[in-house]
Amino acid sequence: MADSIPKIKIMKGAEADLSAATFQIHDESHTIGNALRWMLMKNPKVEFCGYSAPHPSENVIQVRIQMYDNLSSLSALITALSDLETLCGTIEDSYMTSFNNDDYEKWIEES
Amino acid sequence: MQGHDDLEPTVHIRELKKDKVNFVLKNVDLAFANSLRRVMMADIPTVAIDMVEIEINTTVLPDEFIAHRLGMVPLASSNCDEAIRNTRDCTCLAGCDSCSIMLVLNVACHDHHTMDVTSHHLDVVPPGTPGTWGDGEEQEHDAGEELSKRGERFGHPVGKDEPGTPPVLLCKIRKGQELKLRCVAKKGIAKEHAKWSPCSAVSFEYDPYNKLRHTTHWFESDERGEWPLSENAKEEEPPRDDEPFDFNAQPSQFYFEVETDGSLGPQEVVMKGLAELQTKLANLILGLKTQPELDILTGGEQQPNGNNADGWGAGGGGGGGWGAASGNGGGWGGSASPTRGGAATSAWGATSPHSSGGATSTWGGGANAGWGSPEQQSNGWNV
Ligand SMILES: [Zn+2]
Repeated sequence: MADSIPKIKIMKGAEADLSAATFQIHDESHTIGNALRWMLMKNPKVEFCGYSAPHPSENVIQVRIQMYDNLSSLSALITALSDLETLCGTIEDSYMTSFNNDDYEKWIEES
Repeated sequence: MQGHDDLEPTVHIRELKKDKVNFVLKNVDLAFANSLRRVMMADIPTVAIDMVEIEINTTVLPDEFIAHRLGMVPLASSNCDEAIRNTRDCTCLAGCDSCSIMLVLNVACHDHHTMDVTSHHLDVVPPGTPGTWGDGEEQEHDAGEELSKRGERFGHPVGKDEPGTPPVLLCKIRKGQELKLRCVAKKGIAKEHAKWSPCSAVSFEYDPYNKLRHTTHWFESDERGEWPLSENAKEEEPPRDDEPFDFNAQPSQFYFEVETDGSLGPQEVVMKGLAELQTKLANLILGLKTQPELDILTGGEQQPNGNNADGWGAGGGGGGGWGAASGNGGGWGGSASPTRGGAATSAWGATSPHSSGGATSTWGGGANAGWGSPEQQSNGWNV
């Protein structure tokens, strides 16, 4: 099965306490990468964050995270992921509110 | 920090038609708005013709030409998540009612007029028809509940039996010419092939006045005269002539127009797009929380390649890229990617002139300055 490839791994060279690490994420692209980088950057405890899609024929992205105060980059990553998920939910709610309440140009089904 | 970071994200629908929706997304970052755009275009499953078996083709077009045109025909795909399986996840050997839809086309021209062969000539073979998926034990494996989740028109060419909707022209034939074939439609996403995209167009605009100067307008003599403003400009303040350039400004209003090919409704595309993003994130969180290897990996290895701060942290060396940070064993698979070794060719080091500064960069001063400062979110690192 394709499941034998781990979804995410920490690349060689990470700090022992994970205060700085590069995560390699399988089967993701700029779609997640750039939004995740932004969410991580909003965290004031993150010293550095960047991502790259190293090569079009490798189905991975890499996210580099460096933390202040020797905090864990792993927990910062998890926080950022769940914050992004919450954001999606917020936008979905806002869309539905607009869909149900706003006055916009609508399509009326004929017949 | 820019104001939009502190405001609640909002969506305002401006127009909703049968095949398109126009909305304004506010108070999120460009990165996120782009994620939504990308996910709606490329990650939402639909069904499309994937295999074509041509029995008779005496038309002027070669087989592969017709097969390609058939692939592009939009098929009704509502509730695709539940209504059909991916063939690769199915227990069948080579297609079954749970993971595939059979369509047939059989047209011949018998008179002296040019005849159009269109998507309206494609007929879906109803699921359960004996002999559809080869002879022998029909549907021995678990049939699943996919069939019960399908709408009446699922898998049918869009617009068929809808009076007034023009069909997709596949081929033109003359007297004595004939086209007879069988197609198998399967579920897929546009990341694999564009025929699976539910969207025919996703327009995405921000900053209609180009205040942020994310683009450069080429002009003969008068920039404003030669570059008419879009409708969206009415939603924003025009810049004053003496307004200085705000290099800290970030875009915060995004004008979307999602137009579909009819395989899914625009409403379903937006909802599925957001849901798909959430699924991706949930999968990642799951991967992080359930993989014990993560701890083992980090516990055992004590950086044989030296301190990774050399590359990024302390600004050690101009243009230090990923290659420099991780040394020769840095997970790039060694020589798998030759261009990666040289820091100068690294996409990271090369694209941003600020990269060599590393953490010592003096953008704002103060403890929170440098890369960690939230103001730096779009400084070009992701390019
Ligand atoms: Zn099957």
